[in-house]
Amino acid sequence: MTLPRTNEKSNNKGKNDEKSEEATVEYLLKAIEDLQKQNEILKREVLKPKRTPSGKIGFTFLTIGALMLLWSVLKTSTVLAFIGLGLTFWGALFLFVRPVKFVRGTILDSTAISSYTTIDRIIQDLNYEGRPIYIPPYPKEAYLPEYLKNLKEMIVVIPAEDILTVPTVDEMAKKQFLLKNPKGICIAPPGFGLMSLFENELGLDFSSCSLEQLCNNLPAIITELALAEQIEIFMEKGPVHAKVEGSIYKDLYQPDLIHVIIRDSIYKDLFNPERGLKSPHLFGCPLASAIACALSKAAGKLVTTAKNVVSSDLKTIEIWYQTLKA
Amino acid sequence: MNFPLTIWDVSLWIAVMAIILLITSELLAPYSNYFGDFVMEKKRLRLAALVLGAAFMVTVLLRVVMPF
Repeated sequence: MTLPRTNEKSNNKGKNDEKSEEATVEYLLKAIEDLQKQNEILKREVLKPKRTPSGKIGFTFLTIGALMLLWSVLKTSTVLAFIGLGLTFWGALFLFVRPVKFVRGTILDSTAISSYTTIDRIIQDLNYEGRPIYIPPYPKEAYLPEYLKNLKEMIVVIPAEDILTVPTVDEMAKKQFLLKNPKGICIAPPGFGLMSLFENELGLDFSSCSLEQLCNNLPAIITELALAEQIEIFMEKGPVHAKVEGSIYKDLYQPDLIHVIIRDSIYKDLFNPERGLKSPHLFGCPLASAIACALSKAAGKLVTTAKNVVSSDLKTIEIWYQTLKA
Repeated sequence: MNFPLTIWDVSLWIAVMAIILLITSELLAPYSNYFGDFVMEKKRLRLAALVLGAAFMVTVLLRVVMPF
Protein backbone atom coordinates (compact mmCIF):
# COMPACT_ATOMS: atom_id res chain seq x y z
CA MET A 1 0.00 0.00 0.00
CA THR A 2 2.97 2.26 0.43
CA LEU A 3 4.05 1.99 -3.21
CA PRO A 4 1.35 4.27 -4.72
CA ARG A 5 2.14 6.91 -2.05
CA THR A 6 5.81 6.90 -2.92
CA ASN A 7 4.86 7.12 -6.60
CA GLU A 8 2.60 10.05 -5.80
CA LYS A 9 5.39 11.68 -3.83
CA SER A 10 7.90 11.20 -6.58
CA ASN A 11 5.37 12.53 -9.09
CA ASN A 12 4.76 15.59 -6.91
CA LYS A 13 8.52 16.06 -6.53
CA GLY A 14 8.95 15.79 -10.27
CA LYS A 15 6.22 18.37 -10.84
CA ASN A 16 7.78 20.70 -8.25
CA ASP A 17 11.17 20.32 -9.90
CA GLU A 18 9.66 21.13 -13.28
CA LYS A 19 7.90 24.16 -11.86
CA SER A 20 11.03 25.47 -10.15
CA GLU A 21 13.00 24.82 -13.34
CA GLU A 22 10.45 26.76 -15.34
CA ALA A 23 10.58 29.58 -12.81
CA THR A 24 14.36 29.64 -12.97
CA VAL A 25 14.31 29.67 -16.77
CA GLU A 26 11.74 32.46 -16.74
CA TYR A 27 13.81 34.41 -14.23
CA LEU A 28 16.96 33.90 -16.26
CA LEU A 29 15.22 34.91 -19.48
CA LYS A 30 13.96 38.07 -17.82
CA ALA A 31 17.43 38.80 -16.44
CA ILE A 32 18.94 38.29 -19.91
CA GLU A 33 16.31 40.57 -21.42
CA ASP A 34 17.10 43.26 -18.83
CA LEU A 35 20.82 42.91 -19.43
CA GLN A 36 20.32 43.15 -23.19
CA LYS A 37 18.29 46.33 -22.71
CA GLN A 38 21.03 47.76 -20.48
CA ASN A 39 23.62 46.73 -23.04
CA GLU A 40 21.70 48.53 -25.80
CA ILE A 41 21.44 51.69 -23.68
CA LEU A 42 25.18 51.57 -22.91
CA LYS A 43 26.00 51.03 -26.59
CA ARG A 44 23.91 54.06 -27.52
CA GLU A 45 25.66 56.09 -24.80
CA VAL A 46 29.09 55.10 -26.07
CA LEU A 47 28.29 55.62 -29.73
CA LYS A 48 26.41 58.87 -29.11
CA PRO A 49 27.86 61.26 -31.68
CA LYS A 50 29.99 63.86 -30.02
CA ARG A 51 29.04 67.14 -31.64
CA THR A 52 30.45 70.57 -31.29
CA PRO A 53 28.39 72.64 -28.86
CA SER A 54 25.53 74.25 -30.80
CA GLY A 55 26.09 77.65 -29.19
CA LYS A 56 22.47 77.95 -28.08
CA ILE A 57 23.50 79.15 -24.61
CA GLY A 58 25.89 81.68 -26.14
CA PHE A 59 23.26 83.14 -28.48
CA THR A 60 20.64 83.25 -25.70
CA PHE A 61 23.00 85.06 -23.31
CA LEU A 62 24.04 87.46 -26.06
CA THR A 63 20.45 88.34 -27.01
CA ILE A 64 19.22 88.75 -23.42
CA GLY A 65 22.34 90.74 -22.53
CA ALA A 66 21.91 93.11 -25.50
CA LEU A 67 18.23 93.66 -24.60
CA MET A 68 19.18 94.33 -20.97
CA LEU A 69 21.80 96.85 -22.07
CA LEU A 70 19.21 98.64 -24.21
CA TRP A 71 16.76 98.61 -21.35
CA SER A 72 19.39 99.94 -18.94
CA VAL A 73 19.99 102.88 -21.30
CA LEU A 74 16.25 103.57 -21.49
CA LYS A 75 15.76 103.29 -17.71
CA THR A 76 19.22 104.69 -16.80
CA SER A 77 19.68 101.73 -14.42
CA THR A 78 23.19 100.76 -13.27
CA VAL A 79 22.09 97.31 -12.09
CA LEU A 80 20.49 96.48 -15.45
CA ALA A 81 23.61 97.76 -17.22
CA PHE A 82 25.89 95.47 -15.17
CA ILE A 83 23.60 92.46 -15.76
CA GLY A 84 23.40 93.26 -19.48
CA LEU A 85 27.14 93.74 -19.76
CA GLY A 86 27.78 90.45 -17.95
CA LEU A 87 25.34 88.43 -20.03
CA THR A 88 26.59 89.93 -23.32
CA PHE A 89 30.19 89.22 -22.37
CA TRP A 90 29.61 85.61 -21.28
CA GLY A 91 27.44 84.96 -24.34
CA ALA A 92 30.19 86.23 -26.61
CA LEU A 93 32.79 84.23 -24.67
CA PHE A 94 30.80 80.98 -24.94
CA LEU A 95 30.62 81.45 -28.70
CA PHE A 96 34.30 82.39 -28.90
CA VAL A 97 35.68 79.35 -27.00
CA ARG A 98 33.60 76.89 -29.02
CA PRO A 99 35.91 74.47 -30.86
CA VAL A 100 36.05 74.98 -34.60
CA LYS A 101 35.95 71.28 -35.44
CA PHE A 102 35.61 68.11 -33.43
CA VAL A 103 36.32 64.76 -35.04
CA ARG A 104 35.94 61.39 -33.33
CA GLY A 105 39.14 59.41 -32.92
CA THR A 106 37.79 56.36 -34.74
CA ILE A 107 37.44 58.47 -37.91
CA LEU A 108 41.16 59.32 -37.83
CA ASP A 109 41.95 55.66 -37.37
CA SER A 110 39.79 54.58 -40.33
CA THR A 111 41.24 57.19 -42.68
CA ALA A 112 44.77 55.90 -42.00
CA ILE A 113 43.92 52.30 -42.95
CA SER A 114 43.75 52.85 -46.71
CA SER A 115 47.24 54.38 -46.96
CA TYR A 116 48.74 51.56 -44.86
CA THR A 117 46.98 48.96 -47.01
CA THR A 118 48.47 50.62 -50.11
CA ILE A 119 51.97 50.57 -48.61
CA ASP A 120 51.44 46.92 -47.65
CA ARG A 121 50.50 46.07 -51.24
CA ILE A 122 53.53 47.88 -52.67
CA ILE A 123 55.95 46.20 -50.26
CA GLN A 124 54.43 42.76 -50.82
CA ASP A 125 54.38 43.19 -54.59
CA LEU A 126 58.00 44.31 -54.74
CA ASN A 127 58.98 41.80 -52.05
CA TYR A 128 61.00 44.37 -50.12
CA GLU A 129 62.22 43.41 -46.68
CA GLY A 130 64.21 46.39 -45.46
CA ARG A 131 63.36 48.53 -42.48
CA PRO A 132 62.22 52.09 -43.29
CA ILE A 133 64.87 54.78 -42.92
CA TYR A 134 63.70 58.32 -42.19
CA ILE A 135 65.89 60.88 -43.92
CA PRO A 136 65.90 64.39 -42.41
CA PRO A 137 65.23 67.32 -44.74
CA TYR A 138 67.47 70.34 -45.15
CA PRO A 139 66.41 73.26 -42.90
CA LYS A 140 63.85 75.58 -44.53
CA GLU A 141 66.16 78.59 -44.41
CA ALA A 142 69.16 76.75 -45.86
CA TYR A 143 70.17 77.83 -49.38
CA LEU A 144 70.02 75.10 -51.99
CA PRO A 145 70.33 75.36 -55.77
CA GLU A 146 67.08 74.94 -57.71
CA TYR A 147 67.75 71.32 -58.73
CA LEU A 148 68.25 70.31 -55.08
CA LYS A 149 65.15 72.08 -53.69
CA ASN A 150 63.37 68.75 -53.17
CA LEU A 151 65.87 67.86 -50.45
CA LYS A 152 63.88 70.12 -48.13
CA GLU A 153 61.14 67.47 -47.97
CA MET A 154 61.03 64.74 -45.35
CA ILE A 155 61.20 61.28 -46.90
CA VAL A 156 61.33 57.67 -45.82
CA VAL A 157 63.19 55.01 -47.77
CA ILE A 158 62.28 51.32 -47.74
CA PRO A 159 65.30 49.37 -48.98
CA ALA A 160 64.87 46.10 -50.85
CA GLU A 161 67.00 44.24 -48.31
CA ASP A 162 67.42 44.62 -44.57
CA ILE A 163 70.60 46.63 -45.01
CA LEU A 164 70.84 50.22 -43.88
CA THR A 165 71.54 52.22 -47.00
CA VAL A 166 70.60 55.67 -48.19
CA PRO A 167 69.87 56.75 -51.76
CA THR A 168 72.11 59.18 -53.56
CA VAL A 169 71.45 62.91 -53.36
CA ASP A 170 70.58 62.92 -57.08
CA GLU A 171 67.88 60.29 -56.64
CA MET A 172 66.40 62.11 -53.64
CA ALA A 173 66.49 65.46 -55.45
CA LYS A 174 64.69 63.99 -58.48
CA LYS A 175 61.77 62.95 -56.23
CA GLN A 176 61.94 59.39 -57.54
CA PHE A 177 59.61 56.71 -56.18
CA LEU A 178 61.52 53.64 -57.32
CA LEU A 179 65.18 53.85 -56.37
CA LYS A 180 67.82 51.99 -58.33
CA ASN A 181 70.96 52.53 -56.27
CA PRO A 182 70.38 51.12 -53.68
CA LYS A 183 67.22 49.30 -54.65
CA GLY A 184 64.19 50.50 -52.74
CA ILE A 185 61.26 52.88 -52.69
CA CYS A 186 61.06 56.42 -51.44
CA ILE A 187 57.79 57.82 -50.05
CA ALA A 188 56.52 60.59 -47.79
CA PRO A 189 56.30 59.29 -44.20
CA PRO A 190 52.75 58.51 -42.98
CA GLY A 191 53.30 60.77 -39.98
CA PHE A 192 54.69 63.76 -41.88
CA GLY A 193 51.44 65.73 -41.67
CA LEU A 194 51.18 65.13 -37.93
CA MET A 195 54.78 66.25 -37.42
CA SER A 196 54.03 69.51 -39.28
CA LEU A 197 51.00 69.98 -37.01
CA PHE A 198 53.21 69.51 -33.92
CA GLU A 199 55.62 72.14 -35.28
CA ASN A 200 52.78 74.60 -35.89
CA GLU A 201 51.23 74.00 -32.48
CA LEU A 202 54.54 74.36 -30.65
CA GLY A 203 55.74 77.22 -32.84
CA LEU A 204 59.02 75.37 -33.31
CA ASP A 205 61.05 74.22 -36.28
CA PHE A 206 62.32 70.80 -35.16
CA SER A 207 65.43 71.12 -37.31
CA SER A 208 66.56 74.04 -35.14
CA CYS A 209 65.88 72.44 -31.74
CA SER A 210 67.90 69.88 -29.79
CA LEU A 211 66.84 66.29 -29.13
CA GLU A 212 66.44 67.04 -25.39
CA GLN A 213 64.19 70.01 -26.18
CA LEU A 214 62.13 67.83 -28.52
CA CYS A 215 61.81 65.03 -25.94
CA ASN A 216 60.52 67.58 -23.42
CA ASN A 217 57.98 69.21 -25.74
CA LEU A 218 56.68 66.27 -27.78
CA PRO A 219 54.81 64.31 -25.05
CA ALA A 220 52.99 67.46 -23.93
CA ILE A 221 51.71 68.37 -27.39
CA ILE A 222 50.68 64.78 -28.21
CA THR A 223 48.61 64.45 -25.03
CA GLU A 224 47.27 67.99 -25.53
CA LEU A 225 45.98 67.01 -28.98
CA ALA A 226 44.47 63.86 -27.40
CA LEU A 227 46.35 61.58 -29.82
CA ALA A 228 47.49 59.38 -26.95
CA GLU A 229 46.88 59.20 -23.23
CA GLN A 230 50.54 59.21 -22.27
CA ILE A 231 53.91 59.31 -24.01
CA GLU A 232 57.29 58.61 -22.47
CA ILE A 233 60.58 59.16 -24.28
CA PHE A 234 63.92 57.86 -23.00
CA MET A 235 67.35 58.24 -24.57
CA GLU A 236 69.39 55.05 -24.44
CA LYS A 237 72.85 54.06 -25.53
CA GLY A 238 72.08 50.58 -26.73
CA PRO A 239 73.43 47.70 -28.75
CA VAL A 240 73.40 47.84 -32.52
CA HIS A 241 70.34 45.98 -33.78
CA ALA A 242 70.84 47.07 -37.36
CA LYS A 243 72.54 44.87 -39.88
CA VAL A 244 74.96 47.17 -41.67
CA GLU A 245 77.18 44.59 -43.32
CA GLY A 246 77.90 45.21 -46.94
CA SER A 247 77.00 48.88 -46.79
CA ILE A 248 79.56 51.41 -47.89
CA TYR A 249 78.41 53.62 -45.03
CA LYS A 250 78.90 50.97 -42.33
CA ASP A 251 81.83 52.78 -40.68
CA LEU A 252 79.88 55.99 -40.42
CA TYR A 253 76.95 54.66 -38.44
CA GLN A 254 76.90 55.70 -34.80
CA PRO A 255 73.82 54.14 -33.26
CA ASP A 256 71.81 55.69 -30.43
CA LEU A 257 68.52 54.31 -29.19
CA ILE A 258 65.46 56.32 -28.30
CA HIS A 259 62.85 54.33 -26.43
CA VAL A 260 59.29 55.62 -26.81
CA ILE A 261 56.29 54.26 -24.91
CA ILE A 262 52.89 55.27 -26.27
CA ARG A 263 49.90 54.50 -24.07
CA ASP A 264 46.37 54.32 -25.51
CA SER A 265 47.17 55.74 -28.93
CA ILE A 266 44.26 56.86 -31.07
CA TYR A 267 45.71 54.72 -33.90
CA LYS A 268 46.09 51.55 -31.80
CA ASP A 269 43.54 49.66 -33.91
CA LEU A 270 45.97 49.68 -36.85
CA PHE A 271 48.00 47.04 -34.96
CA ASN A 272 44.97 44.81 -34.54
CA PRO A 273 46.00 41.33 -35.82
CA GLU A 274 42.54 40.93 -37.39
CA ARG A 275 43.39 43.71 -39.85
CA GLY A 276 46.50 41.82 -40.93
CA LEU A 277 48.48 44.96 -41.75
CA LYS A 278 52.27 44.68 -41.79
CA SER A 279 53.30 48.26 -42.51
CA PRO A 280 52.14 49.66 -39.12
CA HIS A 281 54.74 47.33 -37.57
CA LEU A 282 57.36 48.64 -39.99
CA PHE A 283 56.66 52.40 -39.85
CA GLY A 284 54.59 52.47 -36.69
CA CYS A 285 51.20 54.17 -36.64
CA PRO A 286 51.00 57.76 -38.01
CA LEU A 287 51.82 58.96 -34.48
CA ALA A 288 54.91 56.75 -34.22
CA SER A 289 55.92 57.81 -37.72
CA ALA A 290 55.50 61.48 -36.75
CA ILE A 291 57.76 60.91 -33.74
CA ALA A 292 60.36 59.28 -36.02
CA CYS A 293 60.17 62.28 -38.39
CA ALA A 294 60.57 64.71 -35.50
CA LEU A 295 63.53 62.79 -34.06
CA SER A 296 65.20 62.62 -37.46
CA LYS A 297 64.68 66.34 -38.03
CA ALA A 298 65.87 67.38 -34.56
CA ALA A 299 68.91 65.10 -34.56
CA GLY A 300 69.71 65.78 -38.22
CA LYS A 301 70.38 62.05 -38.53
CA LEU A 302 68.83 59.04 -40.22
CA VAL A 303 66.28 57.30 -38.02
CA THR A 304 65.02 53.76 -38.25
CA THR A 305 62.81 51.58 -36.08
CA ALA A 306 65.01 49.07 -34.28
CA LYS A 307 62.28 47.24 -32.39
CA ASN A 308 58.58 47.52 -31.91
CA VAL A 309 56.45 45.81 -29.23
CA VAL A 310 52.67 46.06 -29.04
CA SER A 311 50.85 44.72 -25.98
CA SER A 312 48.12 42.11 -26.55
CA ASP A 313 45.36 44.59 -25.57
CA LEU A 314 46.93 47.14 -28.01
CA LYS A 315 47.03 49.72 -25.20
CA THR A 316 50.80 50.04 -24.97
CA ILE A 317 53.08 50.48 -27.95
CA GLU A 318 56.82 50.44 -27.30
CA ILE A 319 59.17 51.54 -30.05
CA TRP A 320 62.95 51.72 -30.08
CA TYR A 321 64.15 54.24 -32.65
CA GLN A 322 67.72 54.16 -33.75
CA THR A 323 69.55 57.26 -34.92
CA LEU A 324 72.34 56.74 -37.40
CA LYS A 325 74.87 59.29 -38.46
CA ALA A 326 75.56 58.71 -42.10
CA MET B 1 19.07 108.13 -22.60
CA ASN B 2 22.68 108.02 -21.39
CA PHE B 3 24.63 104.86 -20.72
CA PRO B 4 24.38 104.52 -16.94
CA LEU B 5 27.94 103.24 -16.30
CA THR B 6 31.00 105.48 -16.03
CA ILE B 7 34.40 104.41 -17.33
CA TRP B 8 35.45 103.60 -13.75
CA ASP B 9 32.47 101.25 -13.28
CA VAL B 10 33.42 99.49 -16.50
CA SER B 11 37.05 99.39 -15.36
CA LEU B 12 36.06 97.60 -12.15
CA TRP B 13 33.86 95.17 -14.07
CA ILE B 14 36.69 94.44 -16.51
CA ALA B 15 39.08 93.81 -13.60
CA VAL B 16 36.72 91.29 -12.00
CA MET B 17 36.09 89.48 -15.30
CA ALA B 18 39.81 89.42 -16.14
CA ILE B 19 40.62 87.88 -12.75
CA ILE B 20 37.91 85.20 -13.16
CA LEU B 21 39.07 84.30 -16.67
CA LEU B 22 42.78 84.34 -15.83
CA ILE B 23 42.24 82.04 -12.83
CA THR B 24 40.03 79.69 -14.91
CA SER B 25 42.58 79.65 -17.70
CA GLU B 26 45.41 78.86 -15.26
CA LEU B 27 43.43 76.08 -13.59
CA LEU B 28 42.59 74.51 -16.96
CA ALA B 29 46.15 74.81 -18.31
CA PRO B 30 47.33 71.28 -17.34
CA TYR B 31 44.32 69.60 -18.95
CA SER B 32 43.60 68.95 -22.61
CA ASN B 33 40.76 70.65 -24.54
CA TYR B 34 38.50 67.67 -23.88
CA PHE B 35 36.66 67.38 -20.58
CA GLY B 36 34.51 64.30 -21.17
CA ASP B 37 31.80 65.44 -23.58
CA PHE B 38 32.65 69.10 -23.11
CA VAL B 39 35.08 70.56 -25.62
CA MET B 40 36.52 74.06 -25.62
CA GLU B 41 39.42 76.05 -27.04
CA LYS B 42 41.69 76.76 -24.09
CA LYS B 43 43.90 79.06 -26.16
CA ARG B 44 40.96 81.32 -26.97
CA LEU B 45 39.94 81.44 -23.33
CA ARG B 46 43.45 82.53 -22.40
CA LEU B 47 43.42 85.12 -25.20
CA ALA B 48 40.12 86.56 -23.92
CA ALA B 49 41.54 86.69 -20.37
CA LEU B 50 44.70 88.46 -21.54
CA VAL B 51 42.73 90.95 -23.65
CA LEU B 52 40.53 91.81 -20.65
CA GLY B 53 43.63 92.15 -18.46
CA ALA B 54 45.17 94.51 -21.01
CA ALA B 55 41.91 96.46 -21.24
CA PHE B 56 41.95 96.90 -17.48
CA MET B 57 45.54 98.17 -17.62
CA VAL B 58 44.45 100.70 -20.26
CA THR B 59 41.69 101.98 -17.95
CA VAL B 60 44.25 102.26 -15.12
CA LEU B 61 46.52 104.28 -17.41
CA LEU B 62 43.55 106.50 -18.29
CA ARG B 63 42.96 107.04 -14.59
CA VAL B 64 46.60 108.09 -14.20
CA VAL B 65 46.44 110.46 -17.17
CA MET B 66 42.96 111.83 -16.30
CA PRO B 67 42.57 111.51 -12.52
CA PHE B 68 39.10 113.14 -12.46
